[in-house]
Amino acid sequence: MKRVFCAAFVFSLILVLQIGCNNKRESAKAPESTGGATTQPAETRPAPNPLKNAYFGDLHLHSGYSMDAFAFGTRTTPEDSYKYAMGETVEYMGKPQKRIAPLDFLAVTDHAEYLGVVRDTIDPNGPFAKSEWYSVMTNPDPKVSGVAFKKLIGSLVVNKPLPEFSDPKMLRSTWEKYAAISDKYYKPGKFTTFVGFEWTSAPQFQNLHRCVIFADKGPAMPYTAFDSLDPEDLWRYLEAQRKQGLDVIAVPHNGNVSNGLMFSTRDMSGKPLTRDYAERRMANEPLVEIIQGKGQSDTSPMISPSDEFANFELFTYLIGTDIKAKSSTGSYLRQAYGVGQELQAKLGVNPFKYGIEAGTDFHSGISSTEPSNYAGSHGNQDSDPKTVITATTSVSGEPPTGIGSGGLTGVWAEENTRESIFSALKRKETFGTSGTRIKARMFAGWGYPKDMTKQADWVKAAYAGGVPQGGDLTPQAGGVAPTFVVHAIKDPDSGNLDRVQIIKIATKNGKSKETVYDVVWSGDRKPDAKTGKVPAVGNTVDIKTASYTNSIGAAELIGEWTDPSFDPQAHATYYARVLEIPTPRWSTYWAAKLNLPPNPTVAATVQQRAWTSPIWYTPAQP
Amino acid sequence: MKGSSIEIAAQAPESIPEAVCKPSLWVTIKRWLREPLLHFLVIGALLFGIYSWMNRGRMGIEPSKQIAITLDDLRIMDGYFESQWHRPPTPAEFQAMVEDKVREEVLYREGLAMGLDKDDTIVKRRMAQKVQFLAEDVAAAHEPSTAELKAWFDKNQEKFALPSRYSFRHIYFSPDKRGKNAQADAAQALTRITGQPEDSKLAASSGDNFMFQDYYGDRAPSAIAKEFGPQFAVALERLKPGSWQGPVESGYGWHLVFVDTVIPGRIPAFEEMEPDVKTAWLAEQKSTAWQKAYADMRAKYAVLLPAAPSDAAQTPGTPPPPVKKQVPSNSGEAPL
Repeated sequence: MKRVFCAAFVFSLILVLQIGCNNKRESAKAPESTGGATTQPAETRPAPNPLKNAYFGDLHLHSGYSMDAFAFGTRTTPEDSYKYAMGETVEYMGKPQKRIAPLDFLAVTDHAEYLGVVRDTIDPNGPFAKSEWYSVMTNPDPKVSGVAFKKLIGSLVVNKPLPEFSDPKMLRSTWEKYAAISDKYYKPGKFTTFVGFEWTSAPQFQNLHRCVIFADKGPAMPYTAFDSLDPEDLWRYLEAQRKQGLDVIAVPHNGNVSNGLMFSTRDMSGKPLTRDYAERRMANEPLVEIIQGKGQSDTSPMISPSDEFANFELFTYLIGTDIKAKSSTGSYLRQAYGVGQELQAKLGVNPFKYGIEAGTDFHSGISSTEPSNYAGSHGNQDSDPKTVITATTSVSGEPPTGIGSGGLTGVWAEENTRESIFSALKRKETFGTSGTRIKARMFAGWGYPKDMTKQADWVKAAYAGGVPQGGDLTPQAGGVAPTFVVHAIKDPDSGNLDRVQIIKIATKNGKSKETVYDVVWSGDRKPDAKTGKVPAVGNTVDIKTASYTNSIGAAELIGEWTDPSFDPQAHATYYARVLEIPTPRWSTYWAAKLNLPPNPTVAATVQQRAWTSPIWYTPAQP
Repeated sequence: MKGSSIEIAAQAPESIPEAVCKPSLWVTIKRWLREPLLHFLVIGALLFGIYSWMNRGRMGIEPSKQIAITLDDLRIMDGYFESQWHRPPTPAEFQAMVEDKVREEVLYREGLAMGLDKDDTIVKRRMAQKVQFLAEDVAAAHEPSTAELKAWFDKNQEKFALPSRYSFRHIYFSPDKRGKNAQADAAQALTRITGQPEDSKLAASSGDNFMFQDYYGDRAPSAIAKEFGPQFAVALERLKPGSWQGPVESGYGWHLVFVDTVIPGRIPAFEEMEPDVKTAWLAEQKSTAWQKAYADMRAKYAVLLPAAPSDAAQTPGTPPPPVKKQVPSNSGEAPL
C-alpha cells in the first residue's frame, strides 16, 4: 500500500506585533500608585498609527474541519486554531502546544470541499458508524489514514464528489457554524480573524489552490472545486459576492507544484491570455503566497542560477504523489514577474502583478512557525519525532522533513482590525516571511533627499515623497533613476539580520532579466570586486545542540539605494529580500532533542527570510 | 434422553403382582418420588435435552462456525448503499454486500482462531483507544449547573487570573553601533543616571535611538515578550518600580529600564468568565474521569521488569539474570 505523505493543501496564518517603526508617540501617563490598586482597569485599545505598524498572521491554516487533516488524525477545531494564535495552550496529537510569540491575525481556511462533514465518520452512533469510513478514520495507523486521504483527494482529482459527504444541507450547517467561530474570536484592536476557506482545484494533481479571504462577514456558502476547477469561475463567484457587498480576495499558492500551470500564459481552455483575463485576475487576486510548509514559490536554483540564496525550502513533488513537478516555466513568482511584464507590453495589463504574503498550510490546526517550537504539521503523518527525523523517503516523494516550518504574512496597517488589515492586503502593503517575525519595509520615490533615513520622521517623508511596497512609480521626465529605502528589523526571538537585497526584474523588447543587488548588510564586509556580491555572513550554529549565537549580524538594517542600471524605457518589478543569519532548521531542533544526527535530505541550518511586495515601474506610453 | 432409573420407577407398580407386592416396597418407591434429588435430576435432564435440541447445528455445521445475519443487519446494509448511491441495490449488488460481510467475518474468526490478534500493535492500540474513549465519554455525559460551575470557579480562580500590566521607559544600547561594548556601556551609563527621574534629559541622551518606542504604557508580560523577546519580559517583571535599573537584554540588544507603574493582576468575577469556566470545567472532568478510570484499571496489574543493569554488571560477560522486580502501579497520570 502506498503511503501518501501529507501535503494536500495549505493555509496560512498570521502573527502580529503591535508597535510600528518610528512610532514614538505613546506618552507617559501620570505615574499611578503601585500599591493598593485592587481593580485593574480594562486595557485600552491602542490608537491607530497613521504611519502604520507591522502585524503578523497566517492566512492559510487547516483544522480538523478539513477532510484530509481529519484523515491524518488532526482533531483540532477552528476554535483551537484561534486560541493557539492568540497565545493560549491547545492540545494537538495528544500534546499541549503554545506559541512563544502570539500572532496578531488569523484566517482558518479549511478545504471547502466536504468542509467539516468527514468529522461525522468517527461518531460511533453517527451516520457512518457501520461503514468502512468509521473503521478507517478511527484506526491509529498512519498508513490506514493515508488510504482515506487518498480516497478523499482522489475524488477531487477526478472531480467526482463522494455522495456520502455531499449533502448540501450538511455543508451549509457546518459553514454557518464555521463562519460564526471566526466572528466570535475577532477582538478589534487586539486580535483579528477573517472568514476564509480554501478552494481546492488540482486537475491531475497540478496545484491551482486558492485561499479565499473575506473582508468582514462571510458568504452564505463557500465555493468548491466541485463547482468548478477553473479559477475564472472562482473569480465569477468572488465578483458576485462583491456585488452583494461582501468584499473578498483569493490568494493562490504553491505555484512550485502546479506543473507550470499557476503562471501559465494560457487559460484553462488553452487559449492565450486576454486583457480582460489579466484585469479580472488582478482585481480578484492582489496577492500570492510566496512560501508555506510545502516549499517556497519565489524561485529555484535552476531559474536563478546566480542567486546563491535560491536553494531554500524547495518542495518538488506534485502534492500527494511521487511525481516530480515540472517547473521550468509557469511555477515560480520571480519568473512570472518578467512574463507578466512581457504580457503587459502586449495586452496593456500585467496579469501577474502580485503582492506578496505567506502562510503555513499546516494541517494541524496550529500555526507553529517557530522552528524551536515546531509541532509537526500533518497529524499522524509527522507526529512521531524518531520516524520523522530518520525517514529519508516516503512513497509520495518528499520525506516528512521536506515540509518547512511554514510562513507568515506581515502587513503594514494603521491598527489591528479587519478593516485596516484587509485594506493593507488589497493595496499590497504586505510582506511574506518564512515563519519568522522580521519586519520588512520598502519605499520608492523620485526625489527622496540624501540620507533621508537619518531623520527621525523619515517614514512620514517616505510616504509623502513616494510609494510604499505594493505601489507604482509613475514615469518621470528626464530619465532620473528612482531611489529606494529599505528597512528591516529582526524578530526579537530569532537570528540577527545578514542583509537586505533588492531583486529587480526588468523587461524590454519582450525579454526579461533578473538582477539581485545587496543593498545593506551587517558588519564591515566588502562586496567582492569581481561579482559585486557581499560575502557570506558566517554561521554560529552548533548542530549537535541546535543552538546559535547572535554574535554576527545586525538587529536592524536600514539603507537607501538608487538603481544603477535604470532604463526609463523598460518595465521593472523591484522587491526586497531580507535574510537572517543561519539558524537551526526545525528538523535540527527535533534531531538534537533525540540526540540523533539531522535528517540528511534537508539543510541542517537555514537563513530565514522575508520578501516585501514589489514596487513597479511602467514606462510612459510612447 | 431419559434416565433408566425413572422408567423402572414409573413401571414398577403395574408390573409387579399384588400378591407378591409387599407394602414396604411401595412405600419406598413413594418416598423416592418425593425425593428432591430425583426432581433435580429429572428437571436437569429435561433442560439438557431442550438445550441440545435448540443447538443441534444446522446443515451439520457446529454452532461456533455459524455466521448469523439478522434482518436489521440487512436493512442497515441496504440503507448504507442507498445513502451512497441514491438508489436501492440490485439483487446482485446486495448479494455481493452480504458476501463481503461474510468474508470479513470468516477471516476475522479464522484470524482469532489462529491467535492473530495476540501481540499485534495495531489491534492493541485500537482496543486501548476504545477503552479510553469509553472512559472519557462517561465524563462528558454530565451538564454542570451554574452553581456547580461557580463553586468550581471559586476553587480554581488562579486559572483565570488576569496578568499584571507594566508601564515603562527604556534606554537602548545598540550592538549594531557599539558591538560587544553595548552591555558595558549600558552598565556605565547606569552609574551616571542612578537617581535621575524617569523623564531626565541626561538619561534620554545616554543611549541610542530605538527603532520602536521609548515608552510603553500598560503592557501585559506576553505583549512585552512579543515585542522584546521572552527573556526581556521575564527580567522586567523582577524590576523594582521607581528607578533606573539594568542592564536588561532583549532580542535587539541592551537596555536600562525605568518601570513607573505596575497594575497588579486580578481575579475576574465569575460572571465575566462563565463560558470559559464551563470549557475548563468540562476539560478537567474529562481528564479526571480518564485518570481515575485508568488508575483503577492499572491498580489491578503488576509489571515485571528485568533487574537493574547494576546487578548484571557483577557478572561481566553473562546476560543479566532473569530476576524480576515488581513495579507498583503509578498514579494513573500516564501509562508506563
